[in-house]
Amino acid sequence: MNARAWPAEGDARVPYWIYTDEAIYRREIERIFEGPTWSYVALECELPKPGDWKRSWIGEKSVLVVRGEDGVIRGFLNRCAHRGVQLCQEMSGHVRQFRCPYHQWTYDLDGRLMGMPFRHGVKGVGGMPAEFEFAQHGLTPIRIAARCGAVFGSLSAQTPELEDYFGEKMLAFYDRVFDGRELRLLGYSRQRLAANWKLILENIKDTCHASLLHVFFVTFGLFRVDNPSKVRMDETGLHTALISERGRQELNEGTRQMHSFRQQLALQDPRLLDTVREFPGDATVIMHTFWPNLILQQQSNTLATRQIVPRGPQAFDLHWTFFGYASDDEEMTRRRLRQANLMGPGGLVSIDDGEIIERAQHGFAAAADAVSINEMGGREYADCDHMVTDVALRAFYRGYRNVMGL
Amino acid sequence: MSLREELEDFYADYSEVIDSGALERWPELFVEPCLYRIVSKENHDKGLPLSLMLCESLGMLKDRAHASKELNVYAPRAWRHSITQIRGREDAGSISAQANFVVFETLPDQHTRILCAGRYLDTLVRTPAGLRLREKICVYDAALIPGSIVMPL
Repeated sequence: MNARAWPAEGDARVPYWIYTDEAIYRREIERIFEGPTWSYVALECELPKPGDWKRSWIGEKSVLVVRGEDGVIRGFLNRCAHRGVQLCQEMSGHVRQFRCPYHQWTYDLDGRLMGMPFRHGVKGVGGMPAEFEFAQHGLTPIRIAARCGAVFGSLSAQTPELEDYFGEKMLAFYDRVFDGRELRLLGYSRQRLAANWKLILENIKDTCHASLLHVFFVTFGLFRVDNPSKVRMDETGLHTALISERGRQELNEGTRQMHSFRQQLALQDPRLLDTVREFPGDATVIMHTFWPNLILQQQSNTLATRQIVPRGPQAFDLHWTFFGYASDDEEMTRRRLRQANLMGPGGLVSIDDGEIIERAQHGFAAAADAVSINEMGGREYADCDHMVTDVALRAFYRGYRNVMGL
Repeated sequence: MSLREELEDFYADYSEVIDSGALERWPELFVEPCLYRIVSKENHDKGLPLSLMLCESLGMLKDRAHASKELNVYAPRAWRHSITQIRGREDAGSISAQANFVVFETLPDQHTRILCAGRYLDTLVRTPAGLRLREKICVYDAALIPGSIVMPL
């Protein structure tokens, strides 16, 4: 790895070894996922009652997110303090205490070790030493921060407070979706893609592809470069919001250049795209990437978090959690569920994304020193008021190189 | 012909339509009003309403079939359904049927893999053209879908 240098052209070029190299991947786990970052782990509505828990991930690490008796959400590594056995294997559940099946060590909802069989021996023999301290052998806690319905975890004591970590500018976008209304969980989709985890973040920051790859976006104007659009980034370049407005199915200077534009395409059942405006302002879509593991999707009326779990340099899992608001009427819920057809592992749009990034990964194979070109829109890093640009990719790789020391 | 034999024939036709790539014929196997869903076992068991695919009308089936066949971008592949353990019960003009399904997927340069396995929970009706689906719920077991589900199951 040390023999490899970033291309001299800078952040507008991305060498393929960052998508394939095992040592780079280990460094990413250490510096990014286990470093001073906040990883998305849950929605609060998944854990409505004390004793509710879910299994989640920070990087590759399995974590438990639990609502305690006091209503506070806490997090722990999903690992018994005794012999390392994974404590929970279901995706979620409700307990009064956690008990490892192996030797029945038992923990309360705060992660404290409460008891174990044979502690004092049996018939006067055996047992744990008198000096064994229960307080020292609870579940390993992780830092948890919750804000307006979403929950984040961090493995590092150095991570700044969540609000400072996102920064005021990105928080404004966050708060637009997580605006304090109670959320309603609609369901999950989960997939494993044979591609490097960064490619799915790139996919969301790569504004041009949406206008070219996806017939559904292009034809029905859901996300297209000829619509009024903005790219907004934080100062690290790692968090991004792409903001746009729905356009029309019309031939113009933009759509004329898009081979995927279909002027004659009409839906047999147009309810799929029966979208309603529900957020203040003109934007009908904002796609957010919150470094390092969260894509927050607001495309028309479909809302979802996409949680990234890296699985080695050449694979990652993508966990989609679709949600609405508890105050949604039945019609709005139906609309969200219908528009969910666009997204996820069978999404009319997302199928293209999953497939194309796997195809990119194939392209990287045996081509470690070849490079990607991210020069649309020049070599600038500044926010801009259009989407015919790779600016969010350049800013992302500038931030990534800082974190990684590359 | 027993109901089971009729259902076996129907599912053979159903899988042939998809596996042969004749997706434009897939909506013809339904009658309006109809419902088609692919749903994870996880959502199904928890009573969560999200589908991986949802078609609430013949029109939506046609839109999905057209997208799968003509519009979505994905690697070339072969699909092979295996539909087994078929059971059905006829009641007041409609047939409730259940079956297990497995879909094998073969991608370029790779060994054939199992895309997913699960259960069909179907409602069929008799029409002059034969059995047709009123409702089809495909509940898949997978905790993680390998890649994407690019066509209806």
